[in-house]
Amino acid sequence: MNKDKSIHDSNHPYREKTDKRILKKNPWKDYGLHVTVLVLVIIAEMIGPIQIKLINGIEVSIMPLLYTMALGLIFYLAKPIKWIQRKQARIAEGAMMLFIGVLIAKLAVSSGQSMHLLFEMGPALMLQELGHLATIFIALPVALLLGFKRESIGMTNSIGREPEVAVIVDKYGFNSPESRGIFALFVVGTIIGTVFISFLTSISVSLLPLHPFAFAMACGVGSASMNAASLGPTLAAFPGLETQIEAFAGFSNLLSFSISIYIVIFVAVPLTEKLYYWLEPKIGRKAIIEEGEG
Amino acid sequence: MMVDFIDGSENITVHGVFNWILLLSIFSIITVIGNFIGYDHPIGDSLVGMGILSVITLVGVWMERRIPFNISSIIYISAIGIILAFPGMPTSEIVSYYVSKVELLSVVTVFLAYVGIGMGKSWNEFKTLGPRAIIVTMLVIASTYLGSAFVAHVILVMTGVPA
Repeated sequence: MNKDKSIHDSNHPYREKTDKRILKKNPWKDYGLHVTVLVLVIIAEMIGPIQIKLINGIEVSIMPLLYTMALGLIFYLAKPIKWIQRKQARIAEGAMMLFIGVLIAKLAVSSGQSMHLLFEMGPALMLQELGHLATIFIALPVALLLGFKRESIGMTNSIGREPEVAVIVDKYGFNSPESRGIFALFVVGTIIGTVFISFLTSISVSLLPLHPFAFAMACGVGSASMNAASLGPTLAAFPGLETQIEAFAGFSNLLSFSISIYIVIFVAVPLTEKLYYWLEPKIGRKAIIEEGEG
Repeated sequence: MMVDFIDGSENITVHGVFNWILLLSIFSIITVIGNFIGYDHPIGDSLVGMGILSVITLVGVWMERRIPFNISSIIYISAIGIILAFPGMPTSEIVSYYVSKVELLSVVTVFLAYVGIGMGKSWNEFKTLGPRAIIVTMLVIASTYLGSAFVAHVILVMTGVPA
């Protein structure tokens, strides 16, 4: 990315992607793609949620939203399915950027209905953003112990979705080890993040005696998909609080898209660097050979 | 991978808006079917609900491209949704009623089907990243999530919010 591109410019990965895919082609014409999605949704909703009991009453719930995502990926990867290829993946990706809007609109309507609550709980909503910094103290030492060098600065400063990727690329340059680190985090997070946070939430709500609204706010730490996947088990665990939980998750996710990039720029990245220079000589391993592009 | 990120955007055209409307209609129909199968919500009411959400989305993405400030459509969409549903607004009751007929999870189930297909593109890159990257990613997500939940919990308890 050009150095002269401001951070504001790099705020628009969604818009650019959506426009490139949607405005030029006729994405609605790809009937194969949309009919496939319809079939996946029907299958997933007919199966419904499944609860799996682990030890000591800890329960993991698998929601239909995970089936459709997994099946979508399988359909893309399966060779015999000729009508879902790279082209459809690009259309799906562009369409998805538009459909995020519907998801956000639904959360916003819940937020509007519970506006009075949001005013009361403003401090918790704002301050939980600082809780995100926990990743630096937990993941950075582990990354160093695993042999990562400066990649770890990109990998562990934040949850690494689009806005944060843009910040790191802007600060360190496209070919820097820091950017390689956050690209790795971004790709792995894209593939496993949604599933992982859904299981993490299931286990957390059944194991930790925290406030339902605290779980709701934690849902929103990552991307819109991660927010949604985390909301599933949270809504199931606290019946009767649907609107409020959706409102807090929506608001927290909105903060993750907007305010949190400034926290990343002014707090998370400098803090990660400081901790890196202090810890690296103490626990850093011999540099390992780079994987992937470099 | 990141090349997609950087290219400039296009201007909106009538053609583009038409594409948006058709895509949102397809999305709404699939969601309403899933919403009926999974949650037994009446098709008519939830179709109206999806219509409202689609219009909010459409206005939001249109405003993002038309208004010269550098504000993401996510912010516009959130603002419109909040205002329309705010208690005391004349639209509040109608919007809240119909939108409540669309389960969040029905929307998400359809949304994630597209995400899953789109995700396929990253699969090869994912395979080249070793288990160490996976371990670090899981730790990053877990500690961000739990860090947020713990701080929120402490503040909620301190400010005396009943559970």
